[in-house]
Amino acid sequence: MTLPVLVGNRSFLALLFGVLLALPAFANQYTLFVGNLMLLYIILALGLNILVGFAGLLAFANAAIYGIGAYGTALLQVHLGWSFWAAAPVGAVLAMLIGTLLAFPALRLSGIFLALATLAFAQATQWVLWHWQSVTFGAGGFRVPPPDFGWIPVKQDYGIYFVSWAVTLGLLLFTWRIMRSRIGRAFVAMRDGEIAAQSLGIDLLTYKAMAFALSSFYAGVAGALYSGLLGFVSPEAFDLFQMIIQKAMIVVGGLGSVVGSVLGAALLVYVMEVLREFKSTQEIVFGALLIAFMVFQPHGLVVFMKRWLPGWEEPLHLAGGVQSTAPGHDTSVAGATSKEHASAERT
Amino acid sequence: MLMFSYLMATGITTGAFYALVALGIVIVYKSTEVVNLAHGDLFMVGGMLAYTCYVMGGIPYLPSLLLAVAGAFVVGILTERVAYRSVLKHGLASVLVATIGVSFVLKGIGRYIWGGKGDYLAFPPIVSPEPLQFGNIMIMSQQLVVLFAVIVVMAALALFFKRTRAGKWMQATASNPKAAMLCGLRIDRIYMYTFAVGAALAGAAGVLMAPLTHLYPDVGFVLFIKGMAAAVLGGLTSIPGAVLGGVLLGLAEQLAAGYLHSSFQDVVAFLVIMFALIFLPTGLLGARGLRKV
Amino acid sequence: MKRLSTTITASLAFAAITALDAQAQGANVPGITNSEIKVGSFGPLTGPVYIYGKLTMNGVEVYFNKLNQAGGVHGRKLVLVREDDLCKPEGAIAAVKKLVHDHKVFAIIGGGCSNPTLAARPDIEKERIPFHVFAAVADGIVDPPAANIYTTQITASIESKAQIQWAIDKGAKKLAIVAQHDAWGRARYEPMIQDFKRRGLQVVADEEVTVDQNDGTAQALKLKASGADAVMLLGYPKAAAVVIRDSIKIGYKPLWIGQTAIQDLPALQGLIGISGALADFVSITTVPGHPDNPQYAEWRKLLKDTFPNDDLSVFNLMGIAAAEVFGKVLEAAGKDLTREKFLAAYNTIDNFKSSIYPGPITCKGGHKCNESPAFVKLENNNVVFAGTVALK
Repeated sequence: MTLPVLVGNRSFLALLFGVLLALPAFANQYTLFVGNLMLLYIILALGLNILVGFAGLLAFANAAIYGIGAYGTALLQVHLGWSFWAAAPVGAVLAMLIGTLLAFPALRLSGIFLALATLAFAQATQWVLWHWQSVTFGAGGFRVPPPDFGWIPVKQDYGIYFVSWAVTLGLLLFTWRIMRSRIGRAFVAMRDGEIAAQSLGIDLLTYKAMAFALSSFYAGVAGALYSGLLGFVSPEAFDLFQMIIQKAMIVVGGLGSVVGSVLGAALLVYVMEVLREFKSTQEIVFGALLIAFMVFQPHGLVVFMKRWLPGWEEPLHLAGGVQSTAPGHDTSVAGATSKEHASAERT
Repeated sequence: MLMFSYLMATGITTGAFYALVALGIVIVYKSTEVVNLAHGDLFMVGGMLAYTCYVMGGIPYLPSLLLAVAGAFVVGILTERVAYRSVLKHGLASVLVATIGVSFVLKGIGRYIWGGKGDYLAFPPIVSPEPLQFGNIMIMSQQLVVLFAVIVVMAALALFFKRTRAGKWMQATASNPKAAMLCGLRIDRIYMYTFAVGAALAGAAGVLMAPLTHLYPDVGFVLFIKGMAAAVLGGLTSIPGAVLGGVLLGLAEQLAAGYLHSSFQDVVAFLVIMFALIFLPTGLLGARGLRKV
Repeated sequence: MKRLSTTITASLAFAAITALDAQAQGANVPGITNSEIKVGSFGPLTGPVYIYGKLTMNGVEVYFNKLNQAGGVHGRKLVLVREDDLCKPEGAIAAVKKLVHDHKVFAIIGGGCSNPTLAARPDIEKERIPFHVFAAVADGIVDPPAANIYTTQITASIESKAQIQWAIDKGAKKLAIVAQHDAWGRARYEPMIQDFKRRGLQVVADEEVTVDQNDGTAQALKLKASGADAVMLLGYPKAAAVVIRDSIKIGYKPLWIGQTAIQDLPALQGLIGISGALADFVSITTVPGHPDNPQYAEWRKLLKDTFPNDDLSVFNLMGIAAAEVFGKVLEAAGKDLTREKFLAAYNTIDNFKSSIYPGPITCKGGHKCNESPAFVKLENNNVVFAGTVALK
């Protein structure tokens, strides 16, 4: 007996977003705040997975771009008096433009070398946020006035939550469509074999730039929402630790999987809050959990979901891991690319 | 002129720090094609174990050093068996996250055991803490110890990879694990010993550098970032490259701090790397190869 | 079948989300029952600056235990609930919300990092929960004052001004600054620069150090070249030690003026390694003397009993000192305890002689309870009182 396709990744997403939408009705302020953070992380994970999971570009700049989005949005409000609604799109676009520049080094570098170059960029960005005091207010951070939700028919307190929810859902649907389109297929082709992709007429610069542009835009949007949520922007929120958490989310969820991004982000945010109970030993437990995830599900939880929920499809999931090495080395350490590619793409 | 001499000397001595860390990273990479993100924490473990033996336990220095290195070696084996063994074949991203997990665990344990003793723990240097005269500049004696260690380790590793069979096995495993298996190499064992030796190196570095870096659970973090930067700058598979990368980074930092402003000290390293990689995408002395299709 | 598995997944998700929503049935005043008072605390428990949270909270807990041994406050035992803020703004906001809405604590004694505490201040003000700052020094936390926030830590502006005043009192002519420019450092650096401007004084050298820097030769060379005879040290022990050590190396010996982060002079001496390094060094202190001194023997024992792995440190004493004032306010608020009464009781703290803070503690009339910086120096390996300054 076969199950109808409705049990699967789509119903999981519907359930999660349904619960998140209803959250203000029954949760207290703490849970609501965590839920809002979860939405932000979902956006970040979606973007990062496009870059790392689908396009195979091992970049470590996402947290810095997140910061540029937050700073851009907040500084436009504080220095130029713009409203949040005008500043947020501009901040996100600014993040996108700066992030896209990283496509240039990505043409020459791959694997660990790209990782390091983007990491260097991220550290340099932190340095700028610390030292360009006249603009960024330095390491002490600064306060941002709250966005005006007067025009939305909800309580002021819930405004940022519903806006985050709507934006996250929108970006999720957008990601879903893109990854199933030509662009998504081009990304995956690039990931699985650059030279073969080129021989199919895929221009690497265009598609790498697009991958960086997309992930940076998502990070920028998340940054704008962050500034609206916290009302306080400072550099330490966008450091290497943040980058590591984002990376962990997409790997735990599943590289090359849209739902995997959501799953990884939601799960890790939830886990990190639950682990509060461990107080000072949180780090040990969290580290042990990450190790456990990697030992039991190294390709992400979507593999588990796929096995047990028959309607769960992951046509582009990377079961083999990202390309690890510089040219000249056999990429077999990267593992065999998934058999999933061979299966027909069901709509 | 005096300032220039000092800056050069300091550049080389801090470069030696980065080089020592980088060498440990390179040896692991040469064999497994993985960067162990917990390398800095292994550094901390070595230093803390030596602290426990030497400062707290009163055991003489040399046995403490050996115990610390042995301890780090054991931790390396443990982490490989528990965390990395089954993950290595699943691709770089998964391994990186596993190493991140190990890093959190080691740091958390470090905080738990040693964290309540103070914010920074002092470790006495091997020789006198007073500076030594060299021409018209002064150098701390422990810095010379580290410099000496770098040279010794570099020579030892170069010999190891070129002349010994074990070294060749490691390189073969990195180059093509499947072919290596077909030739009868036990790549599981090789991975395990590689991580263990890398950990031992990190631990040794931790002990030797402890009098100058001081000991605290996060001591490995920045050193790891800079050390990894040095290793990548050097080419990641090249042992002299790691040392060269380290020294270049150290010099860049000190010269920028001295002649521009001290606020540039931290960022110069990253700028140097970004530009170097643009012109030399596989690092200074890295393997420039043809891409396999 | 489809409906069943959907229902199961739905219930699991629902349960998962609501599990985050742990509650305690509140009395009319949150956090109080007939037998206990729940006090919350937030600060870094993990991450590089965990000592400012974890160790300070350990001190608070030791003090609370002592109070509880003697029967508590008006018969109620004090229970400390800790939350980690990871020294991040979103961490602090989440921690405060959790303390207020999940744990439903009566009051908060905490605040380990400046930025996160600043970020959480609006939430704390909105909830009108009493908040006693125990470690963070940024002025913005209590300036402009909020009705429900008090601090017993000397704030950054007072320390920075005091450092400059000391240098001038000692006759220094050329003053220099070596500072960390992270959030912690900036909280001190900015008021210091402003005070320099106010006095019309020039800073002859303004160097930056980073927290993890292993070598201070470049900074030392610049300081020496500027001819500075007094240097304000705005750094943590490692950065300070590295700069002093390498200054000695190049033969530069100014008057070093430190602040509460480097008040543990024997430890700093140990980090530097060179004997006599701190001959010309003073620092502002939260704690007169050194944790190893006999006057702290009782606290040392109590700490070892509760936390066997730890040694009594300055951070523990900071927590104990803050908790002592907090306890006195609780006592003065009376048996019929409410948040408003508790906040009003701060006004009874007037020239209170704390068993740890060197100066008098006065919360009456202002929210900065501790405005008397005291200086210490090292003499024959003993930490001795060096003097105070009159802040103009």
